[in-house]
Formats: sequence, C-alpha cells, structure tokens
Amino acid sequence: MKGNFRLGLVLAIFAAIGCASLAVVYSITESAIAAQSQKALNASLQEIFPDAASFEDITSSVSSNVQGVKFEQAFLVKSAQALLGVAVKATGSSYGGPAKLLIGVALNRSIAGVRVLELSDTAGLGMNAKNAAYYVKKAEKITFPGQFAGKFLTDPFEVKKDVVAITASTITSRSLTVIIKAAADAAATWLETSTTTAAQTEQAAPASGAADTTGGK
Amino acid sequence: MDLVKILLVTILVNNIILMRFIALCSYIGMTNDVGQSIGMGFAVTFVTVMATAATWPLYHFVLAPLHLEFLQILVFILVIASLVQLVEFYLKKNIPGLYAAMGIYLPLITTNCAILAVTFENISYNYTFIQSIVYAVGVSLGYLLAMILLAGVRSRMRTSPVPKFLQGTPILFIATSLIGMAFMGFSGLIK
Amino acid sequence: MKSLWKVFKQGIIFENPLLMLMIGLCSALAVTSNVSNGIGMGLAMTFVLLFSEIFISLFRKLIPNSVRMPIFLIIIGAFTTIVDLVMKAYFPELSKSMGVFIPLIVVNCIIMGRVEAFAYKQKVLPAIFDSFGMGLGYTWVLIGIAAFRELLGNGTLAGAQVMPASYQPILFFILPPGGFLVFGLFIAFNIWLKGRMRKSAAAKENA
Repeated sequence: MKGNFRLGLVLAIFAAIGCASLAVVYSITESAIAAQSQKALNASLQEIFPDAASFEDITSSVSSNVQGVKFEQAFLVKSAQALLGVAVKATGSSYGGPAKLLIGVALNRSIAGVRVLELSDTAGLGMNAKNAAYYVKKAEKITFPGQFAGKFLTDPFEVKKDVVAITASTITSRSLTVIIKAAADAAATWLETSTTTAAQTEQAAPASGAADTTGGK
Repeated sequence: MDLVKILLVTILVNNIILMRFIALCSYIGMTNDVGQSIGMGFAVTFVTVMATAATWPLYHFVLAPLHLEFLQILVFILVIASLVQLVEFYLKKNIPGLYAAMGIYLPLITTNCAILAVTFENISYNYTFIQSIVYAVGVSLGYLLAMILLAGVRSRMRTSPVPKFLQGTPILFIATSLIGMAFMGFSGLIK
Repeated sequence: MKSLWKVFKQGIIFENPLLMLMIGLCSALAVTSNVSNGIGMGLAMTFVLLFSEIFISLFRKLIPNSVRMPIFLIIIGAFTTIVDLVMKAYFPELSKSMGVFIPLIVVNCIIMGRVEAFAYKQKVLPAIFDSFGMGLGYTWVLIGIAAFRELLGNGTLAGAQVMPASYQPILFFILPPGGFLVFGLFIAFNIWLKGRMRKSAAAKENA
C-alpha cells in the first residue's frame, strides 16, 4: 500500500506543478485574450455604424424568443448628438458549429449592417459567409452579410427568394439568416418600446423624468 | 438543433472520419478486417458516451463556475484516461468474455482524437446534457460506419491489382477519398 | 555529434511520422486546407513536442514506470494548454480557424509515441534533436500538402493570389475527399523517394 501511496503522491505533485504553471500562463495571457475579442467587436461595431461615438450596454433588456439563437451582448449605439440604433451580438448554430454575428439595426427599422464574427463551416463553401472577397451579387460586389444592409424588417427573409444564398451552402445561408432575423427583430422591438423614453432623455428635456429602466444606467 | 438532426448530421452529413479527418490513426490501423472495426467502433462508442457523461457536468458545475476553464485540456484528457483504465480493470475482473472481445482496444482509445474532440465540442457548441449524449452517440456511430466501410473495401483490395507505387497506405487514402466523395452527397439531407 | 545528427535526420524522411510511421494524422489533414494553418499547426506541434520531450527526458528518473502515462499526459497537456492560450491571446484568427485541433495536440500520437519510445529513455540532448527532426518532418509534409491544396483549390498560397485571375479553382482539393487524395499521393511519393535514397546509398557502398 505504501508503494501505491508514493505513486499517487508523485502523480499529485506533477499535477499540482502542471496546474500551477498553467495558472501563471493564464494570468499573463488573460487580459490579452479578452482584449482581442473586444478589439474585434469594436472594429465591427464601428464598421456598421461609422458615426458611432459611444456604445451603451443594454444586454439585460434584449432577449431572444427564437429557439437556438442567443444574444451575448446588445448595445445602444449613439453618435455625439443622437441615437443611431441598436447592435446585437448573437450566436446560433450553423452547419459546422456555432456562428457568432453582429447585427446592427437603425432607427428606421432597417438593418444597418451585419458582420460575421465567428464561423466554423466548410472552407470554400459555408465559410464564404465570412470571406470579404466572396460576392453573392458579383456585379455589385455584395457579400453574403452585406446584402442585408438597408433591408427593412418588414420585408420577407426567405433564402433563395429574397436572400441570396451562398453557392452550395444553403444550410449555412439559412442558419445565418435565422440568426440575423431573430436579432434584428429583437433589436427593433427594443427600439419600439424604448425610443420614446430614450429620445426624451437624449434631448435634455428633464420634464417627465419618468423612470426609464432601459436606456439609463 | 433537435436530436434527430444531430444524429443525421454526425453519422452521414459531417462524418467524423470522412469529412472531418478525426481519428485517422485508428482508422488506418484497425480496419484490417470487419470484426476488428466493429470491436473498435463499439469500444469507442462506449468510452465516448461515458466520457461525455463525466466531462460535461465536470465542466459546467466545476470548471466554469470556478473560472478554471483553462484547465479544460488537462482535466478532460486525464478524466478520459482514468475512465479507460477503470473500464479495463472492471471488464477484466467482472466480464472476462467482453474483455476478451473488446479489451484490447481500450488502451488505444485513450489517445483517440474522436473522444477528446467530442467532449470539447459538447462544450463549445453549448449543448445541453441530453444533446451532448446524442452527439456522442451520433459521432461514434459515424465512426463505426466509416470503419466498417473501409474494412470491407480493404478485404476486397487484397485480391485486386493495385499499381505498385500505390500499394500499402496510399491506396487506402485514395479509397477513403472516394468513399468521402460519396458521403458528400448526403449534405442535402438537412433542410 | 554524428549520432545526434542521425537522430535528427530520421524524422525527416525515413521515419517521417506522417508518411512512414502513420501517426499524428488527425491534425495533419484537417489543417492543411491552407498554408497558414499548416505552418501554424506545424510550429504548435513542434513546440509541444520539444518541451514535452525535454521535460520528460529531464525528469525520466523521477517518473515511476507504472504511472508514466498519466504523468506524460499532464506534461503534454500543460504545454498544449500553453500553446492554446498564447494563440488565443496573440494569434486569434489562426486560433479560431484551427478550432478544436489545437487542444487535440495533446492526443497527437506523434508526441505520445516519441515521448514513450524516445524521451523517456534518452538524455536531454538526443531528445531535443529527435523532437526537432520529427517536428520538421511533420511540418514539411504539412506545408507541402497545404501548398498543393491551397494552390489548386483556391489559387492562393498563404492568402496571396498566385494563380492567374482566369484560373478557376478546383474546390475539390479544399474539401475533405481532396485532402485524402493528396495525402495518399504524398505517401506514394515519399515511398518512392525513400526507395531512391536507399538505392543510391547501396550503390555508393558497392562502388
């Protein structure tokens, strides 16, 4: 039994050293890892809303009613003077794994833009959704996510009819469209219920000062 | 993704060996005859499901709440290795018949990429526990299918005239390429 | 010194882990749809192999035989995690495109195999040379396959357009069946190369 105890002890010591060194490496890289994803998010947010100056976190008040689509974060986008719209970071499943998209909705209930943040589908097929050089409308040089810019939420979103699919990647095209529509609808709903109160607070009109639970901190 | 869809995708549409290149070492080494492939396939199924049952709760109830996600690789591989050891001991002692049939494959399974890949993907796809188990079963059945297919092809090839420069492993990969092409036809199954 | 050089050379052609020993295949084919991934994986694997071999060789007297497997897994797993964290922090795009294959380095048969067969029984210096040889043998095959697949399947090499604009990429090569085909042909090529090298070595001896 003593032999086994010694073996167990050796094992435990190695395990402890292993975990300790990993904890050290993790603490060093942790901030860099978080910074990377923040950088990517900020870059995409700025692309969709070029005039944006600040992003207010409204994640708690935007939720998904569509099964399989989850919202990781939601932001109220403002320029220096006014509201611009809402951006939602949504995840859902696609052909080869989870997909993460950033969807921006402008005040007039149209989509400001869509960016694919993460995608793990088949290279050369579904992955073309993320390829900046792949155009679904070759003449106008429009990419798959690019075709949603300016689309009104009241328009139909059927793949292969209103939405141009990626060649040989109908599943990916459908999965992403579902995510985009879910996020856009939720963003529009939020805008509907909150724009009036938010607009009032923006215009520095202190009059009603009613408790707005949404736009405020 | 509902459960039937998960099964269809893992077995046919996105077969782990033919479409994702995972678990190739055992694919080449353990398809000498159909019986061997079946044995390996079942052993993999068994260990994968058990590994899922062990690692999923471990991640969601221990690693994540304690913010120890960076230990995932270490913890998962050790859990799988220990599981395989335990299963081997148990079979050897209590079900010697099954051990004789399946036991030899068990040590090979510890380093089988498929099992670790499945446990990782259960987490990264945000599957629920039930979905994870179904995913594990599906992937293993896909693995079994590919193994049996190649074992069958190999036994036929023993009596076929293979060009000299392709003899041995090259022709196996070319055969796999052809089987894979056939499987690509399944991608229309999912709507 | 000569024996160290021999140890290094073995891994490149004669005992090439991918083409001859048939180990470590999983990660090899999946990441070779383009050259950047191939190089990334080659370097990542070599890093883990190198440090695992060094540490296991250093501690070989302290590792009891009966629990050597779990201890190997701890050491290899630790270095794999380090590679994973560093890549997530400083090479996020590469890390995302390689996905689950970086954690899979821990079960890469090459590392397990070399550590068990070589590092556990040898001193540190031969272990270092062995890991470099195997790592280089692994990486050159990866880059070779990736270059082939990316060039024919996408017209680019490491993202840079190489083929003329009129070239219609043959998507087949980037897809999995194409990968298997290219790999099979690579093995055939290596067998032929090995045969040629043996013949010329034998001819030199007889001359």
